[in-house]
Amino acid sequence: MSAGTTLPAGIVRDPGFPTQSENYLTNSKGVLSWIFTLDHKRIGVMYLIGVSLSFLLGGLLALALRWHLVDPDGALFSNAIYNQVFTLHGAIMVFLFIIPSIPAALGNFLVPVMLGAKDVAFPRLNLSSFYLWIFGAIFFVLALCGSGLDTGWTFYTPYSTTTDTSVILATLGAFILGFSSIFTGLNFIVTINTMRPPGMTWFRMPLFLWATYATSIIQVLATPVLGITLLLLIAERTMQIGIFNPEFNGDPVTYQHFFWFYSHPAVYIMILPAFGIISEIISVHSHKHIFGYRFIAYSSIAIALLGFLVWGHHMFTAGMSDMTTIIFSALTFTVSIPSAIKVFNWLATMYKGSISLTTPMCYAISFIFLFTIGGLTGLHLGTLATDQHLHDTYFVVAHFHYVMVGGTLVAFLGGLFHWWPKMFGRMYNETGGRISALLVFLGFNLTFLPQFVLGSRGMPRRYATYDPEFAFLHTMSTHGATLLGFGLLVALIVLLRSLFSGRRAVANPWGGATLEWNCTSPPPFYNFERAPIVGDPYDFHDIEWDAENERYVTIEPERKLAPETIPDEAPAHAGGQN
Amino acid sequence: MLPAAFSLLADYTEDYAWFPDSASTFSEGVDSLYYWITGIAFFFFVIVIVALFFFALKYRKAKGEKATSQVSHNTPLELAWSVIPSIFLVGMFIFGAKVYLDMRTIPDGSYEVGVQAFKWGWTMDYGKGTYHPELHLLVNEPTKLTMRSSDVIHSLYVPAFRAKKDVVPGRYNYMWFEPTLVTPKVSDEELAEATKEVEESGGTWDYDKYQFTPDGYKFYDLYCAEYCGENHSEMQTVVVVHETREDLEAWVKKYSSRGDNVSLEAYGEQLYERRGCSSCHSIDGSQRVGPSYQDAFGSTRAFASGPSAMIDENYLRESILYPKEKVVAGYAPVMPSYKGQLSDDDIDSLIAYIKSLSSAGQ
Ligand code: HEM
Ligand SMILES: [Cu+2]
Repeated sequence: MSAGTTLPAGIVRDPGFPTQSENYLTNSKGVLSWIFTLDHKRIGVMYLIGVSLSFLLGGLLALALRWHLVDPDGALFSNAIYNQVFTLHGAIMVFLFIIPSIPAALGNFLVPVMLGAKDVAFPRLNLSSFYLWIFGAIFFVLALCGSGLDTGWTFYTPYSTTTDTSVILATLGAFILGFSSIFTGLNFIVTINTMRPPGMTWFRMPLFLWATYATSIIQVLATPVLGITLLLLIAERTMQIGIFNPEFNGDPVTYQHFFWFYSHPAVYIMILPAFGIISEIISVHSHKHIFGYRFIAYSSIAIALLGFLVWGHHMFTAGMSDMTTIIFSALTFTVSIPSAIKVFNWLATMYKGSISLTTPMCYAISFIFLFTIGGLTGLHLGTLATDQHLHDTYFVVAHFHYVMVGGTLVAFLGGLFHWWPKMFGRMYNETGGRISALLVFLGFNLTFLPQFVLGSRGMPRRYATYDPEFAFLHTMSTHGATLLGFGLLVALIVLLRSLFSGRRAVANPWGGATLEWNCTSPPPFYNFERAPIVGDPYDFHDIEWDAENERYVTIEPERKLAPETIPDEAPAHAGGQN
Repeated sequence: MLPAAFSLLADYTEDYAWFPDSASTFSEGVDSLYYWITGIAFFFFVIVIVALFFFALKYRKAKGEKATSQVSHNTPLELAWSVIPSIFLVGMFIFGAKVYLDMRTIPDGSYEVGVQAFKWGWTMDYGKGTYHPELHLLVNEPTKLTMRSSDVIHSLYVPAFRAKKDVVPGRYNYMWFEPTLVTPKVSDEELAEATKEVEESGGTWDYDKYQFTPDGYKFYDLYCAEYCGENHSEMQTVVVVHETREDLEAWVKKYSSRGDNVSLEAYGEQLYERRGCSSCHSIDGSQRVGPSYQDAFGSTRAFASGPSAMIDENYLRESILYPKEKVVAGYAPVMPSYKGQLSDDDIDSLIAYIKSLSSAGQ
């Protein structure tokens, strides 16, 4: 059949455009209807605004750091201020941006829609976790900016128990944010366990949901450990009990064990949802069944569990026993296998596909490139002998930025562009979107590739000043950061502009087969007019391009529909409607 | 072959060098592992990236055209790409652990140096009361460092040796290495010229500028690699590798005590530089982490706890040995104690030097 000029017979399913009152953005008006909303989609949008502002703040601080490092003896920052700025940058990026970004913003919006549910299991808990986040974020930023914090986002003892900056306020802030994270995770676990519609078995769940599920497990299991650790830290500071501080017979390395026991799994809170997004984008924009579905699904869970066993690799030079060190090294390598294989799965999905190089696809390709570098350089750090040289140098800075920025941030942007039409009912300018992807890609590499060399040459991290032989590479890196910032600005402009002047989005602009493409864009208040028909989320056989109307439609061959449950009465939490 | 290609690149110019000098028995093991891992990583990277871009372009299709395959799995293929990378990983782990164990097994009879790390400096203890911030070693001689910290966690890192170990308060950490390259001495004229320049400007020795020590030795950098607060990036010193034991011993002897014809005051000035006082206390009245020495002696200080007092010899002595007893108001109690590390003569010298910096003391 030539490119979809004639449509085969069958029932053509296309929800068309939403009417004014039936979409979640317009069905009720006024600020209060947002503030007290129980609608997961509105909460997702509010999270999106929150994490974006956090990212903006963290990003400006990053640029300030980079500009300082062009000429570190120049007068931009004193050492003390530089230390506060990198602490702020790191803490904001980790606690306020990267951990909540995908699960809380995109996850909140998408989990129920992809599941074919009306909302999450506990809408009120969902709203309260958002307000906890807001409260924690304001508190955290005020604590960090107000009286300053200079411990680095890791709060290592005994520095953190002795510095006179605002450790207690900042750790309390992180503690509150932890609750928000736990509530979100809990909510998703229950939602996914109990609210799947008839016909949606575990193995008919889109991979984004598997990823969210695995992430939620980590959030619920690991975050309390961080909370307890931070409480112990506060107790130590205020009551001088000897847990971590050697002056009172504590051991500072104990803190590192506790801290990384949370924070290493937290790295997977950052990257697993990104894997989920990439699986969706690659499959939909290649119009091809995802390759190795079961493997990708299981490996998310495997990574979540194995992620709890490798925290010691942050402490290869701290003086653990040799046996412990070697065991941690071995375990570390085991996590890299499932991650590596996912990359092969994505490539195999593209093979013989029908690829459209849309903006989300450009970001996904960029993700595979950058994440591969991030993952492969992890091998240098997991290998004991080379880590002795590279630990705490710029090599590590480059590695984790490749994973966290090149991986998570790029996937987040890709996901944003992928679901933007669904979320706001508007199409953005494709050319602008692709240019932003290209600029982000180039700027990012120019920023962080030189840092691998800096680290290999021995440039330690968290240095406000450095020896002259490192100047050239630092300058290169700063120019890259400026370019990267510019690329992000372009992305922002493209997205915002679409809200005002974008074409209206059809229900299924990319030809996806997961459930969220079955409702109008933006979705109605209860997501679906009728219970959606659940099939294989990556089966593209029925999806046809309708060239006449320029849209993808689903051609239903005559077949039995899944049992219908028509929402004739409003559900319990209908209070959110006004 | 691969390492050779890399090192060709590395030698291209200093600005593009991939690694610092390779100067210990560990360097070779670490570097070749690094190159092998990089090579293997590069191999897989190329496969992934070529496939990525090739597929993206080759299978680009017009809207609505169907994919030519919907294969959703292929067990032999999946097994192959799980098992083959795993074999490489096992190899990396084993070689990495093996070289690491070498780095951890300290040979008997090593040359021993004590290391004290503090905010923000290093003191190397050569025994018999000789302390100096520079680390001086003998070529081809295994050296064991016994390290402790007087405040927070630091980390001793010599990139040229590919060696790093955290220095954790409350416990001893050990590391060892064997230098393989001598750091040469500069000519006497060059040294004399630099010394004169420094004396005339009345400044302190700028290691970065001259790239040799005040004794005329070229050096390797030694960094603190664990973040330790305000002047973390200033917490650097140098490593000098001597060619002969005599040379090393002569250097140690030179710093073992005040010479016969050196005044207390002059020796105090040397100790001020050498024992890290200068990293926190200025002598020109400028603000640093601690109070300046300029016009300190004879002035009256307010303390964070308790009444104020005039600064005299007793106060100075107490502050050197028990710095946390009377902390000047407005400063954090961060100074480490020098108890047991300075002889009476050393303390007298420092006091004499501080006195000389104030009109009341002269
Ligand atoms: C705009 C791009 C960015 C640039 C140019 C940048 C730059 C930097 C720089 C210069 C440092 C200090 C390195 C050091 O001395 O340790 C740093 C640290 C850090 N960055 Fe970024 N960064 C960027 C984006 C991000 C993002 C998006 C995240 C996380 C989502 C992030 C997370 C961190 C963390 C966790 C640290 C460590 C902070 C610490 O050492 O306490 N960065 N970054
Ligand atoms: Cu230090």
